[in-house]
Amino acid sequence: MASNDRAMRIHRGRIAQYKHDTLLREYLKQHLNELIQQKELVIDGRVKTQIATLDLPTLKYGEEAAVLARGSGGGGGQAGGGGQAQSGDEMQVLGGLLGGDHHGKELRVELDFDEFVRLAQEVLLEEIRLPVFTEAAGGGEVEAPDQPELTDLDRIGIRPDLNLEETMLASLQRNLRERGVADFDVELSQDGWYFVEDPLDYQNHRSVEVYVLDISGSMRGEYLSLVRKTIFVLWYYLERRYPTNLRRYIVFQDVAEEKTRDEFFCVESSGGTHISAGFETATSLLQGVTEHDKFLFLFTDGETSSGDFDLAKRRFEEALGRFDLVTYGHVNPGGRGVGGFSEFVQEAARRVPNALFANLVDVEAIRKTAREFMAVFGDERGDARWKRTGRSLSGSRR
Amino acid sequence: MEAYRTVIERIEALAHDRGLSFDPVIFRVTDSDEIAEVASMGLPNRFIHWYWGGAYKELTLHQSKDVLSILELVLNTNPSYAFLRGTNTYLQNVLVIAHVYGHVDFFKNNHWYRKSNKNMLNEAELHARNIRRYEAAHGRERVEALLDAVLTVARTVNAFERSPAERRKLLIYHLEEKAPLQDWERHVLQMIREEAEYFDLIQRTHIINEGWATFVEAELLREVLDTTEWASVSVQLCNRPAPYTIGYTLFQTLKAERGFDTVLQTRTYYEDIALIDEVLTEEMVKRLDIFVYDPKEKQKSYDLQAVKEMLISQKLFKGEPYIEVEPGGHQRELLLTHREEERKLDPKRVSLFLRAVHSLWRNPVRLRANGKVYTYDRRGFSTT
Repeated sequence: MASNDRAMRIHRGRIAQYKHDTLLREYLKQHLNELIQQKELVIDGRVKTQIATLDLPTLKYGEEAAVLARGSGGGGGQAGGGGQAQSGDEMQVLGGLLGGDHHGKELRVELDFDEFVRLAQEVLLEEIRLPVFTEAAGGGEVEAPDQPELTDLDRIGIRPDLNLEETMLASLQRNLRERGVADFDVELSQDGWYFVEDPLDYQNHRSVEVYVLDISGSMRGEYLSLVRKTIFVLWYYLERRYPTNLRRYIVFQDVAEEKTRDEFFCVESSGGTHISAGFETATSLLQGVTEHDKFLFLFTDGETSSGDFDLAKRRFEEALGRFDLVTYGHVNPGGRGVGGFSEFVQEAARRVPNALFANLVDVEAIRKTAREFMAVFGDERGDARWKRTGRSLSGSRR
Repeated sequence: MEAYRTVIERIEALAHDRGLSFDPVIFRVTDSDEIAEVASMGLPNRFIHWYWGGAYKELTLHQSKDVLSILELVLNTNPSYAFLRGTNTYLQNVLVIAHVYGHVDFFKNNHWYRKSNKNMLNEAELHARNIRRYEAAHGRERVEALLDAVLTVARTVNAFERSPAERRKLLIYHLEEKAPLQDWERHVLQMIREEAEYFDLIQRTHIINEGWATFVEAELLREVLDTTEWASVSVQLCNRPAPYTIGYTLFQTLKAERGFDTVLQTRTYYEDIALIDEVLTEEMVKRLDIFVYDPKEKQKSYDLQAVKEMLISQKLFKGEPYIEVEPGGHQRELLLTHREEERKLDPKRVSLFLRAVHSLWRNPVRLRANGKVYTYDRRGFSTT
């Protein structure tokens, strides 16, 4: 009876949630610019905002006042009618639990990072007037979230789910029977065939994207905003092109190091600018990489430290030789002229087909960059894959 | 549901033996999602509003992370509807069943519930249909804006207040009587006010109701469960949220000191404030580890009077600022006063609140608070 009831039920909760989320999205869209500039954008995979969750506009107290609370230890209140609350003490504010609303505290909106990115993309594509792709990646194939998608680009797929123990036992018995030797046929470590991957863990990436960010000094406010907006717009198109991509993140100042995604969006600015270190670390990440397409996106204000210019040039050339596309974002919110190392890259991008230069002055510049970036795919769709790329840069290219 | 038939009959018989009485109870096994839905909306068939959506989202998120799980839900209707979660263990649902009998006895016998609307399930359905009808007639946006404003002022209801003069001091009743609303708008306000009173009663008796249900649960289960099961259950009873354990402790103390008959009388005539005021002792405050916490001084106080006052003020005003309609004033003006002058209101919320009130009053609205007079009129918000 219960299952029939469920089937017939109108999911009022979900309808109400949809209404709530629609309003919330509109509200967040209006505040996106200030959100995107938060220095610590992602904490534990979530974007924490200072925006109070949607609430009815009831009156609230505006000050921190005494509250009724309960210790989580249960029992054992301190004698003498009072005591200093230790920092480690856990307590539960009782407000709403006694019959009020929302547990007596004002909730802040928190978004899953992916949800935040989708929201930002929605706003940005509209603001920058970029095309929205509606067709599913993979040309209408059915996609399963846990399984890599197999198309003509990639026919390797999941390796057989081999029962290693059975196989080795059979091999041992065969050798004993036929050769009188208690040994396996093969050296395990030398035979990949015996390597069994868990299909659920098996990640079949189509592209590797390396994001490199200059965190020397000027990394704040509008600078951060432009970099993040550019990245989110690029992601929009890349995700539709490569549903199973791999992203790696590097930050650099005097030295460069790889970071996690969350760290990449929460970095502290410091130190000098050794662009060479950024390129070098990015290139080193390609060691052993088997992905089909390799992209490098480097964002800097271009003011490389003295003595680094020549080395940075060399590392840039090396990166051009290893990556399919090197996109250099000169982050320039003040709209000053392009000089220094950025000028060199701008010049090089005119000559070298797999280099893109973007002078990121404002959102209009992001639009231009995204269009140039999409032109690469446009060429590809014309069946002249990577026409802009004059030379073959990677063995994986067909 | 068949699996629980025998135990339900046994618990029901035991409850009758103890002198409990109740309207028929219809149990229904359902999933966490429906329980979260009913808990966030208050009633299963209530009109759909974005505000419930936020609460539903929070509840389902907490349930998915095992931060919080609602084991049971019971409605104050005749017959009473009780929801059992399908994923509960058999023992958990036996606990829920016994707990439910405590609630339904309270709904039937407590003095404050005698005049409560036992037909609220049908009323809520009718309200939802009316609101849909008004949406079709006057436009969804207009009805939604009205609902937002009415739900905001609906927090000022008081289900206990029976004196017409005192009621008029409360914003929602004043607006219902005097605001220049169209008939359909006033009808929406009346519907929401009725629903708000239904929930206000539950809020104002939360501690005694949950305490009584937990007390009944313990009394009945002692006879239903074997020793091992009872041992695990009695630990659970002490680890429940505050209203359950506070109320449970108060009833346990009453039974130990004054006997079961006094306990039965208390559940009939008392509400939260009277129960706390009369029964709570310093020893209980310490045992329950309830204290007043001052965030500025980072100090806890287990002082009985301070805890009592705080608990009572929470119950009186739901932890929210208490405002009253001032009599007199200019005929078309609405003058409101914040009664606890020493406590400051959040000024950002004041303008939003006054805008909502103005959308119903449609004439200048003034609020005396924070040592200032805030005004919202057709020119917008201002402070003097």
